[in-house]
Amino acid sequence: MTKILIVPMFLICSFLKAQNVDSIMADISQENDYKVQATFKSPRLVLLQTNETQKAKDLAFWVGHRFGDIGGEFGGSNTLYGLDVATDLYLGFDYGITDKLTIGIGRSKFNESYSALIKYRLLWQDDAMPVSITFFEQSSWITRKPFSNNEFGSEGDRISHFFQAIIARKFSPGISIMVNPGFLVRPEAQVQDFQDSANLFALGLGGRFKILKRISIIADYTFVNGLSRPEDLQSDFYNPFGVGVEIETGGHVFALNFQNSQAIIANNFIPNTTKSWSDGGVRFGFMISRNFSIGSKKPDN
Amino acid sequence: MYKVLLLILAIFICSSTAAKAQFYQTTSAKVSFFSSAPVEDIKAVSNEGVAVLNSANGSISFKVKMRSFGFEKALMQEHFNENYVESEKFPEATFKGESTKEIDLDSNSPQQHILKGIFTVHGVSKERILPVTVTVLNNGKKLQLESKFNVACKDHNIKIPKILWENIAEVIEVNINADFQIIPR
Repeated sequence: MTKILIVPMFLICSFLKAQNVDSIMADISQENDYKVQATFKSPRLVLLQTNETQKAKDLAFWVGHRFGDIGGEFGGSNTLYGLDVATDLYLGFDYGITDKLTIGIGRSKFNESYSALIKYRLLWQDDAMPVSITFFEQSSWITRKPFSNNEFGSEGDRISHFFQAIIARKFSPGISIMVNPGFLVRPEAQVQDFQDSANLFALGLGGRFKILKRISIIADYTFVNGLSRPEDLQSDFYNPFGVGVEIETGGHVFALNFQNSQAIIANNFIPNTTKSWSDGGVRFGFMISRNFSIGSKKPDN
Repeated sequence: MYKVLLLILAIFICSSTAAKAQFYQTTSAKVSFFSSAPVEDIKAVSNEGVAVLNSANGSISFKVKMRSFGFEKALMQEHFNENYVESEKFPEATFKGESTKEIDLDSNSPQQHILKGIFTVHGVSKERILPVTVTVLNNGKKLQLESKFNVACKDHNIKIPKILWENIAEVIEVNINADFQIIPR
């Protein structure tokens, strides 16, 4: 009888002795599905949009620039390797209505176009969700004088719409990749090559590779040729490709880029990239954003 | 006879250990920190501190997830996690230590204690001596612990870029406010 009692008694004893603050601590389970943050440092990569949106009540001011051809017929020392030329200039504001919804306006020198954008985060990567998905739509209104009297039959001929789904994943603190299927809807009047199709599919690929804590290498490539675009066109169109260095300092993000696209917004560069990396058509460019917190969220006490 | 003695001894050891070891825990300790610099003051709060305390020997284990800190500006929070404490690599700040003297569970007045132990943040551990105030409430069913101490960024290899020295203090003030509940035996 006593023997039977002693065994569990010692077991209880040893259990009580083994219990200490660390073992109790290890038993406390905390469930916190923190959303993955900063998949990309900025809502824009080189040419494409990333899955990132503005934080709620944050306003970003954008300044973008594309210089002229570095080499080839239009570049070289005559134009100081393209620095004399501005193929596009972009000024814009993006505002975060909520952490998920961003609206923005902008103006480009290219085609003298005004644009409005909307971005909405559908899915957010966390422990259970492998990817983040953001929906992006941008409409552009070309305001330049027509090159010919009948170029734009009606005001609607000046407007185009670009839709894109941005599927992104942060693989590690240093590596993020995105895949961006998109579709451009434009009126026939904006088609530069009469054999080209008005509406174009696009597939973008982009990545960010952190090399230092605040400096990353960024790159994106967009397939336009080889998708819905006809093969035998009169003019040469190329797939937009850009690489750059992204530097982050507090509220600023600087991106110093090289790319073959002359234009900054997707509505312009998806259909109209006529320069290539191989013939000197690559150009320097930059994109700078300054962030302002307009309303501030108080930390909950 | 011998076995009976052994049994009595076992019960005695058991009960004495049990009487001594009294554990308290919390999963909602408030941890806040404050940086005061010429350009801006930055404050962050977490209410998700987890801690276990043994009143018998005064040993304590405390941890807080870096991601649980909320800031006034969302961008600050992102920079804090991404650039300064690197939350993906070092998800928690911890303190493990012991009080230099036993906590008097019969006293109702605030008691001053000194915790000696290892404080870890950003993957860097430092031996620290932290002053705490402990108040026993509800006849020993609850313990309230308060502490205020400073953490120097450079002690924990948290680098502040030179151009941001006006925005972020080199020494951060940390406040702990934890309400412990007794763990029923």
